[in-house]
Amino acid sequence: MGWIVGVDVGGTFTDFHAIDDATGELRRAKRPSTPDDPSRAILDGLAALTRDNGIEPADIARLSHGTTVATNALIQRRGGRVALITTRGFRDLLEIGRQTRPHMYDLQKDFPPPLVPREWRFELTERVAADGSVLRAIAADELEVVVEAVRRAEVDACAVCFLFSFLNPDHEKAVAEALRGAMPGLRISLSSAVQPEFREYERFSTTALNAYLQPVMDSYVERLAAGLRDLAPNATVGINQSNGGLMSPDRARAFPVRTALSGPAAGVVGALHVARSAGRPDIITLDMGGTSADVAMLRNGAADMSFDREVGGFPTRLPMVDIHTVGAGGGSIAWFDRDGLMKVGPASAGADPGPACYRRGGTEPTVSDANVVLGRLPEQGLLDGSMTLDRSLAAEAIRPFADRLGLSVERTAHGMLGIVVANMVRAIRTISVERGHDPRTCCLMPFGGAGPLHARDVAAALGISEILVPAAPGIVCAEGLVVSDLKEDFVVSHRTPVDDANADGMQDHVAGLLNRAAGWFAREAVPEAEQVVELSLDARYQGQNFELSVPLATGTPAKIGALPSADDMRKRFFAVHETAYGYFNPDDPIEVVNFRLTARGRMVREADTGQAAAMVGEPDPVGTQSVFFDPEAAVESAVFQRASLLPGHVVEGPAIIEQLDATTLVYPGDRATVDAAGNLIIGLEQ
Amino acid sequence: MTAPSELDPIGLEILSNALRSIADETFVGLMKSAYSTNIKERNDHSTAIVDPRGRLVVQAERSLPIHLASMTGLMQCLLEKFGGDIREGDLFVANDPHVAGGTHLPDINMAMPVFAGGALAGFICNIAHHADVGGMAPGSMAGGMSEIYQEGLRIPVVKLFREGRMQDDLMDLLLLNVRVPEERRGDYFAQIAACRLGARRLGEVIKANGLAVLHRAFDEIIARTGQRLRDGIREIPDGSYRFDDVMDDDGLGTVDIPIRLQVDVDGDRIRFDFAGTSPQVAGNINVTLNATVASVAYALKALLDPEVPNNQGVLDVAEIAAEPGTLLNAVFPAPVAARANTSQRIIDVVLGALAPALPDRVIGAANGANTTAVFAGTDPRNGQAYLYLETLGGGMGARAAADGKDGVQVHITNTSNLPVEAIEMEYPLLVEEYGLVPDSGGAGRQRGGMGLRRVVRPVGHDCLFNGAGERFRHQPWGVFGGQPGGTGRFVLQDDGSEGRGLEIKPMGVTVTPDQRLIVETPGAGGYGDPAERDADDIAADRRSGKFSDDFLKSHYSGTSKKR
Repeated sequence: MGWIVGVDVGGTFTDFHAIDDATGELRRAKRPSTPDDPSRAILDGLAALTRDNGIEPADIARLSHGTTVATNALIQRRGGRVALITTRGFRDLLEIGRQTRPHMYDLQKDFPPPLVPREWRFELTERVAADGSVLRAIAADELEVVVEAVRRAEVDACAVCFLFSFLNPDHEKAVAEALRGAMPGLRISLSSAVQPEFREYERFSTTALNAYLQPVMDSYVERLAAGLRDLAPNATVGINQSNGGLMSPDRARAFPVRTALSGPAAGVVGALHVARSAGRPDIITLDMGGTSADVAMLRNGAADMSFDREVGGFPTRLPMVDIHTVGAGGGSIAWFDRDGLMKVGPASAGADPGPACYRRGGTEPTVSDANVVLGRLPEQGLLDGSMTLDRSLAAEAIRPFADRLGLSVERTAHGMLGIVVANMVRAIRTISVERGHDPRTCCLMPFGGAGPLHARDVAAALGISEILVPAAPGIVCAEGLVVSDLKEDFVVSHRTPVDDANADGMQDHVAGLLNRAAGWFAREAVPEAEQVVELSLDARYQGQNFELSVPLATGTPAKIGALPSADDMRKRFFAVHETAYGYFNPDDPIEVVNFRLTARGRMVREADTGQAAAMVGEPDPVGTQSVFFDPEAAVESAVFQRASLLPGHVVEGPAIIEQLDATTLVYPGDRATVDAAGNLIIGLEQ
Repeated sequence: MTAPSELDPIGLEILSNALRSIADETFVGLMKSAYSTNIKERNDHSTAIVDPRGRLVVQAERSLPIHLASMTGLMQCLLEKFGGDIREGDLFVANDPHVAGGTHLPDINMAMPVFAGGALAGFICNIAHHADVGGMAPGSMAGGMSEIYQEGLRIPVVKLFREGRMQDDLMDLLLLNVRVPEERRGDYFAQIAACRLGARRLGEVIKANGLAVLHRAFDEIIARTGQRLRDGIREIPDGSYRFDDVMDDDGLGTVDIPIRLQVDVDGDRIRFDFAGTSPQVAGNINVTLNATVASVAYALKALLDPEVPNNQGVLDVAEIAAEPGTLLNAVFPAPVAARANTSQRIIDVVLGALAPALPDRVIGAANGANTTAVFAGTDPRNGQAYLYLETLGGGMGARAAADGKDGVQVHITNTSNLPVEAIEMEYPLLVEEYGLVPDSGGAGRQRGGMGLRRVVRPVGHDCLFNGAGERFRHQPWGVFGGQPGGTGRFVLQDDGSEGRGLEIKPMGVTVTPDQRLIVETPGAGGYGDPAERDADDIAADRRSGKFSDDFLKSHYSGTSKKR
């Protein structure tokens, strides 16, 4: 084939990870991001990558990337002007939402105003009933008036959201046709296409968000495609979705809302890849960067998914990797609350001015400053010594806090790290114990620039006994993009009691899903050998309002034939219910709310990670450093270069392992070994 | 990380973080394992950790303000009654507002003592609103009753578990007295499981830190919170502040029921005296003292420091005087099921009183209600009885720098609506409209929030409608010249007719498939002189269609301010 390039666009850096499909050769690179137009850093970086490594542009077979374009446009409210057409009587629904307020006690705090102003929300007389039948047809003359109103509003995009369109999309489709006829260039988002699921507000909100992002994604994809015509003329471009799979640029233009978690989801895919290489199926990921930390749970070699999440303050219902984010990063700032307790984050010094130790004028004490003071981050700094860190500036920033507390600077710095660790521990408890999973049975995988520095304390607090530091913790996301599959989720939302009487109806839904998947495989030209589908149900006890995802089968489309018996489905539901809630009731009736099918087109075979002959014993340290593992006294610790650690090497703590983009701590008594894939496995002292 | 040896502001932060985790985990645990929609979907429950003296130390983040006081209420009664007889493995249950510190019967309180090395370490508590606790009417919330006995099963503080053994006969008694006992059993067990989960987690924290450190942390957390709120009170100028308001009615013939308040502020001391408030009434809008304390604590927290932790420190700061036997300190046998309406009004009155003292923080009167609409009947599709209950939000008062929120739950409650698609799939009802009530936000420099309008038609059968409204006659007032917001109403409309207004608390109204039942909730009061409203804001009011030209002309006819 040729080169496969993964590009992860982060807030600060754009990372490149390229692999030659034929030889397994790897190339990695990093350059500053260009937030005003992220495609610039991609294109410039790609040019440099090919030039520096003698790669022929024509030899790039695939370019996969995680994008923050949609997320940033939403945060900065730079999306398009959007109109909405909805069922008569429900113009305000987008604004009322669930009739709640964002904070129980804060009278001043509001949800963000709707993305579609009320004057551009138009009602149309039509109605589909709860069984999908048409209660009232669309009146042609009224439709004309509404279309004309949309035209006069001079919007960039129009969302069409009708009640029960997830059961019967005909009315939404008819309106789309009328809109296209009148305004051929108008971007259109139908709620029955964006996410055809029950619960109107979440569906409408997701659809409005999608419409809002369409113009931004359009122009971004165009700029990127134009640039790639020269830089990678033969490359198939894939854009990462929040569900951890790739989609084509055309689908990204139609469904930009699916990229809301594009970057973090790539991290999870990369982590899955690393987990497989290390033979560790149950992992808790800790992706800690400059401003925040993302945590996720991988069980049995797959990431947990969630379906409801706020994106930029708006509820969004889409399959997304279940990532929990907490404002804990290297730049997180320490402060005193009104009751005198010390807090760290979520405010961050960011990249500019950055932590005090960066010498860019930052004066507030940050997590990085605490690490420098404690000798955990080397003064010669990040990125190959290109930026040194100033320990005295770090200490100066922390000193006023130490004075207020009557503690030493080191004790204060140590306390700051303790607080930031407690915040991350809470986030991990949310995705593990609160979902019924025991973190002690998992391995902790830290990555991102700051993850490996704090992993030990997080693991200890959770009772985790093993830490897995990937070979290149700074570019796990870019790596994930290289091994991503093409992915598409299909759903039918249809409440059906689980009993044998409904077997035929359920089978029809599955057949319909398989049909849609076949169409998608054909459109995306996925060869038969690479086609995989996963079938699952969202089910619940009748009368409950919480659905649980019950996986049914995974395999080639041909293998997903008949559904299991009702009895078997019930048993599977009980098992999931038991895990999530700690009990199940075998006598209560169960119903399915959604039938889901995920289709994957495998793009890359797992590379062979076999390495040269294993090394024995300890490598040579490059120096020593005095490190405060506990607040009272520093310990002389050996410093190793990660590049010099080869499979089989063992490092006994206390030690520091440095590499281009991350620093790993090995505590006294702990022991790190390098596995065959180059991962560092740290066993905690028992 | 080593355990903090000293409870400095770092160690205390880390330890209280761990305690917050416990409260939150038990909250989620209870939510997930409960059976009823009321807990699972609407999250009408709370969890907490309480110290051996019965003081609230940590409450789960999403706990409800009104539950704050029920927990401490229960604990005081528990300690009084069982002081020397609290053993490992015991589990206490209670709900009664008059003898067990509760606020209304559907809120079932539980408390489980946690021991460490034979010493009492604290209690894990939770409260869940059960969808039914027996009594005259399904749901145990209906009006029209004049004694607490009629509202449901009264549970004093009793041991549901003795030293680890469930008292089966007691559980049988509890379940025999409620409707849908299977579902209630599930909710009881969810609460029990949440207590045990919390006890296990607290045990882990004790193991890591030691009991002495934990107890010092309890004291320290409560003391610091109290100090923090007192610092806030110092920001209120010293003086006496008064305000009064009237409730529409109690559903049993008493109307215009006054709530009077005088607030005295002196340094970091604040006293709320409700002298002159109505005697308790026959209808179910009475409030026990605990709920009054919780309402005042909510208002103080919202005004002074929304992020202050929820614990005993918040409850203890205010001195509250309310005569026993009055609306706000109701005594046996007063019915109290609909106390939330009155709680909302207490908060409005506190905000009204403190308006001159804290002009930038108060807001206009909110919709001041917990507008309740209940549809019941027999589903023609399957012949099964159904009951659909919903409480609707409304306007929230205008603020110094922003308009009021439109169509939200306010103050004491923050429960979700039920999606239209969920209603129609579940019940034989058609929702024909769900929107904001035009012109319902009171005019002002900042306008008040708008009420909600929901229009429901039964499909293929006659259904029965019960409702409970407030601020249907007395408008939500504005502040500093802001105009009052619109009142709410229930309307029954025959197709093709104007419709007729129903009572404020209508009972047993038949609705046919040729009729629509319209619920309109109150809006909220404005803030500041309407003449000062920014011309751009008025233009937006017009453009959005939220306000009619007539309304805008009559309220903003003067010259408006151009920024």
